[in-house]
Amino acid sequence: MHLIIESVGFGVATGAVIGLGAVGFSVQFGISNILNITYGALMTLSAYVGLLLINRGVSAWIALPIGAVVVGLVSVLYNRALLAPLVRRGTPPVAMVITTVAAGTILQYVIVAIAGPSSQSYGEQSGQTLHFLGLTLSEGQVVIIVLTAVLMLGLHLLLTRTTLGKAMRATSSNRTLARSCGISTSRVSDISWLISGALCGAAGVALAITTVSFDFSLGGLFLIPMIAAAILGGIGQPYGAMLGGLIVGVSSEVFAAVSNPNYKDIVAFAILIIVLLVRPRGLFGTGSSTRRLMEG
Amino acid sequence: MGWEYYAVVLLVYLGTDLLAVWGLNLEFGVAGVANLAYIVVVAAGAYAYAVCTLGPSSNDGGFQAYIGGLSLPFPVALLAGSAAGAVVGTLIGITGLKRLRQDYQAVAMLVVSLMIVTLVSADSGLFNGSTGLALIPNPFASLDPQTERWSYVALVAVCCLIGLFVLRRFTTGPIGRTLRAMRDDDTAASAAGKDVVRLRLVVQAVGGAFGGLSGALLVGFIGGWSPSAWAYVETLAFLSCVIVGGRGSDRGVSAGTLVIAVLLLQGVQFLPQIASSPGLSEDFGWMILGGATIVFIWFRPQGVLPERRPRYAKRSSSDPSG
Repeated sequence: MHLIIESVGFGVATGAVIGLGAVGFSVQFGISNILNITYGALMTLSAYVGLLLINRGVSAWIALPIGAVVVGLVSVLYNRALLAPLVRRGTPPVAMVITTVAAGTILQYVIVAIAGPSSQSYGEQSGQTLHFLGLTLSEGQVVIIVLTAVLMLGLHLLLTRTTLGKAMRATSSNRTLARSCGISTSRVSDISWLISGALCGAAGVALAITTVSFDFSLGGLFLIPMIAAAILGGIGQPYGAMLGGLIVGVSSEVFAAVSNPNYKDIVAFAILIIVLLVRPRGLFGTGSSTRRLMEG
Repeated sequence: MGWEYYAVVLLVYLGTDLLAVWGLNLEFGVAGVANLAYIVVVAAGAYAYAVCTLGPSSNDGGFQAYIGGLSLPFPVALLAGSAAGAVVGTLIGITGLKRLRQDYQAVAMLVVSLMIVTLVSADSGLFNGSTGLALIPNPFASLDPQTERWSYVALVAVCCLIGLFVLRRFTTGPIGRTLRAMRDDDTAASAAGKDVVRLRLVVQAVGGAFGGLSGALLVGFIGGWSPSAWAYVETLAFLSCVIVGGRGSDRGVSAGTLVIAVLLLQGVQFLPQIASSPGLSEDFGWMILGGATIVFIWFRPQGVLPERRPRYAKRSSSDPSG
């Protein structure tokens, strides 16, 4: 029983990282309608940007926002230079997914070519552990949980309390209508790629902080829990993705504690398959998101 | 001797890649299912062939653990490889039963691919985990080396010819037209009485059998198979052959296989090696492959040799039924 409670704490920390990634992925899909698989490779990129900084003596907590900014800007450029023009040329959605897989592969092998294929590590973070409510968490995990909560609250306020947030939600639910109301959808799109890229970058460094060692496959493998969380929450729904991240994180850590840790991702995978077969729109999917996901 | 050996290797790769690309083109190019987990059916065929032809896992001091170990003759193992591909392909196809948007389904399949690699790597008792299987017997090992190699090329060629014969049943004629109609407008195809879900599962099974046979033939030649051989990027390599060659066109994707899978991915090995980073030329091959895929999607989505659109004779305006 103690083991299970402890693993819940770990699960919240894992879920925070998954949630960060899933929210970014979901926001991006909501606005751009593109399922961006390059997201995984971009997470790997930020982990390696973080590594570069940490190897020069920068603290991991400064590397994290820098990684977020770098990947945020790369995302905006990526969309402007490749994805948006392809969409304008009338490229079908499935070809867009293949494009993002191909771009992710290029980025991944550029990273391998520069940084080498061997495993890397950020080294030991400050070893202090904190105990409360029977949970044991490292300082790093606590910081990541708090950081995620703050970022999510910030995103919530942005989406609900500002004109920009309103414009983003309008663009997400009906792009054409939003444009005819005078919203600059291309600006909204840039900002959403910046935000989702920044969340992706933050998640990449956070993931590297919480794992013992990583290599170029870091972001690719993270696609399993992240896409499961995004789809469970209802893809395109930021709040759903937050909750989805938490559910996937906690259930996989608890499962790992009671069985074989190698099979941690199988829970995420089972959730993904069940949601796809039973309720493809996810927990929070609305009628319009269902129409978006089904054929026709 | 060196060149002859290399020619044999390239011919075997060409044949096995052709089978895999034909299968993927049937699924993606003809029927419109973007199966990003395609490499999993190739792996299923390879593992099925391996555990059918290998002896019990206690052989050779039991240095590798696996299920099966049936010591079956190779024709049976090839059939088993195809069957394994067909079964796994159908199971993967079930993720699309809900008729999801195609790109959404493709992403789900990508996750399936990532997951199955993780599982097989983690379970050391199934197919020897992340180390993979080795010493898989070559069916012609008892012959002298030269005859052995060319016999294998002949075996691959025969399989390709049989494969091509089967493939044309599905990509041409009434079935081919039905599948293409389903790809272009599945609502219209359903309205015309076609059972879209069933057709997709059939295509997944047939495409899977092609992939399974490809994997089985490949592993019989190279003698080893491990999770690093079937990472999800390998599916991108096959997809790239389809996109560059010409989606939906059997001629096109065959040309694409020659250019991308053989000339590009094998050709980069002739780049000058840099001693400090030995894998660099291979990394470079993947970058070019990804770049070529994107360039074709951007500038020439129909590929080098596009699918021929069917032409029907125009009815004359005096035709009373017209």
